[in-house]
Amino acid sequence: MCFTHSFWQLTISGLSDGMLYALIALGYTLVYGVLQLINFAHSEVFMAGGFGGLFAIQAVVGDKTPHGITSVMFVLLGVVVGAIVGGAVAFVLERVAYRPLRRRHAPKLAFLISAIGASLFLVNIAGKEFGRQAIPMPDLYTNGTVFSIFGADVQTNYVVVAIAAAVMLVFLDRLVAKTRLGQGIRAVAQDADTASLMGVNIDRVISQTFVIGGLLGGAAGFLFGLVFNVQNNMGFIPGVKAFTAAVLGGIGNIRGAVLGGLLLGVVENLGVSCVESAWRDVIAFGILVLVLLFRPTGLLGERLGRSA
Amino acid sequence: MNRKLLVHVAAPIAVGAVVLSGCGGSSSGGSSGGGKKTIALAYQGPLSGDNAQLGINMDNAVKLAVKQANDKGDLPFTLKFVDADDQGTPDGGPPAAQKLIAQSDVLAVVGPAFSGATKASEPLFSQAHMLSVSPSATNPQLTSYGFSTFYRVVPPDDAQGKEAAKYIAKTLNSKKTYSIDDKSEYGVGLSGVLEPALKGLGVSVIHDGIPPTKDYSAEAQKVVGAHVDTVYYSGYFAEFALFTKALKAAGYKGNLMGGDGDKDQQYVVQAGAKNAEGTIFSCPCADATVDPKAADFAQAYKAMFNADPGTYSPEAYDAANSVISILKQVGAGATRQKVADAYKSVDFQGITKEIKFSPNGEVAGTTIFIYQVKNGKIAVLGTTADLVKG
Repeated sequence: MCFTHSFWQLTISGLSDGMLYALIALGYTLVYGVLQLINFAHSEVFMAGGFGGLFAIQAVVGDKTPHGITSVMFVLLGVVVGAIVGGAVAFVLERVAYRPLRRRHAPKLAFLISAIGASLFLVNIAGKEFGRQAIPMPDLYTNGTVFSIFGADVQTNYVVVAIAAAVMLVFLDRLVAKTRLGQGIRAVAQDADTASLMGVNIDRVISQTFVIGGLLGGAAGFLFGLVFNVQNNMGFIPGVKAFTAAVLGGIGNIRGAVLGGLLLGVVENLGVSCVESAWRDVIAFGILVLVLLFRPTGLLGERLGRSA
Repeated sequence: MNRKLLVHVAAPIAVGAVVLSGCGGSSSGGSSGGGKKTIALAYQGPLSGDNAQLGINMDNAVKLAVKQANDKGDLPFTLKFVDADDQGTPDGGPPAAQKLIAQSDVLAVVGPAFSGATKASEPLFSQAHMLSVSPSATNPQLTSYGFSTFYRVVPPDDAQGKEAAKYIAKTLNSKKTYSIDDKSEYGVGLSGVLEPALKGLGVSVIHDGIPPTKDYSAEAQKVVGAHVDTVYYSGYFAEFALFTKALKAAGYKGNLMGGDGDKDQQYVVQAGAKNAEGTIFSCPCADATVDPKAADFAQAYKAMFNADPGTYSPEAYDAANSVISILKQVGAGATRQKVADAYKSVDFQGITKEIKFSPNGEVAGTTIFIYQVKNGKIAVLGTTADLVKG
């Protein structure tokens, strides 16, 4: 029974999900790389990006569904606004919830509590301001089958998510590998104290890392909202999944996060075709446990600083 | 200085004491303005949290019924309205019930609204001899626990499941139906009745349970791959909306149907009007905005709250009015026990149905309505009794 009727179809929807997981996972992985800290409020950065994109789109799109080049422009606008809002929230988050603790050399647990507090605060403030009902994104294009491959229909949604995510992932990879900023991030990740002695401004690098993670997370929030509606608690489940993807690939490892995200998305989707849907998460997390049993540091290992 | 201080402190305390004794007086059923005794009709249901809207639909309707009863001027007492928020959750139920029981002028409760909260609250109400009439708790088991003061004005889910199955088999002429529940107590209860009923009518059934999620694309592929002509979703509208989106994107063209938890205008909003068009709902609920018998109610509701009555508003209104009719009958000497005893034999013509009960608290008659999304609005098609041939 397994896989027979829709193997390719499920693989494609899995890759689309996986791309989103990867974008979010990068936010976790980058911050972990420089701070050895899981930023549990990252799922709310994602949510903020969703709302930012939603409001921008609501402001410019009328009743009619746009076509062709206007659709592309609107998607681009949503991604950019989502990214900016996500980046801004991540920036403020770092200033308010983390930096004061770092200044006082607080123990790691304090950061964790601070992150959870910030996360709850953001979820509920969004619920109060924007309501707790899911809000649909206006249609930016007519979702339908674009082309077929191996008998599987590829929908517009998948194409949009895949292109947007792929561009951002490549961009990030180049950024970290080639630029001065990327060098700074890698230096801090390798050894923060030495980096500081070499003249790297640690606070600035950390802040920039949060913003980069926030940009990606916010853009992912918009793309997610485009397909699955925007809601104040939309970040929780994708956040958990993305965190899983980051651990699966090797936390702190950029390419690992991408690999982990794609793998998780595909496994989840294929798993559903074999068993009752209720087992979806059991399969995904079962695989995580198996991988960690044999490779405790994830598939690609835990390194941001070393050759990625 | 000291005297001044004394005045400053003592005066507010004295005022406070007056206010407190005032509260105590009215809550112990003492006389208040006009020489009439004040008694209270309470509502319990979600007023905050994710499901607040459904609860507010009912809260408003009870408020309206109380106001109208007082305005009429023929009550032997002054009726007061109080409410308690249980958030629709099982753990929210007992504190809310306790809050109402503690107010001694509360003689009866409309509610609790949700099945889980009802199950958790009823033992307390039974103990306090407090009549509780739920407008919307549809879990079939609720009337089998032996709660002595529990009634509901809606038929349980097994009636809905059976009637929905008839509609699917005979009116939609389904050969193969995909039945999906959300694994909640409500969803499993409904699909558990629907599926055997469908099989009994010769429809082949595929079952799946999907705990609430966002991404239904894999499930949608499964449904499309199974070549069914009807999909029935037993769950709540937010998930059903996303599922609908995924099904349409995957190219599903057959019938789409859901239960009373799915029937909400928000479903149309969240799925997108184009995707939602044509979706069918079964519901034991009457729709006040379209039913001519409820026109007066709908008008008064809109005038008072500046909103249309929502799902379960008419049922809450009927529940409240049936209780008020009993309060009136028992008169000024009413106690919780007397009210609960008298309600056993209630026979009240409401706007949704005739309110009378079998001894276990189940409402007589099982009217199930069928609705469909037409031009972006949920419109009533009729009752299954009228729509199902043969």
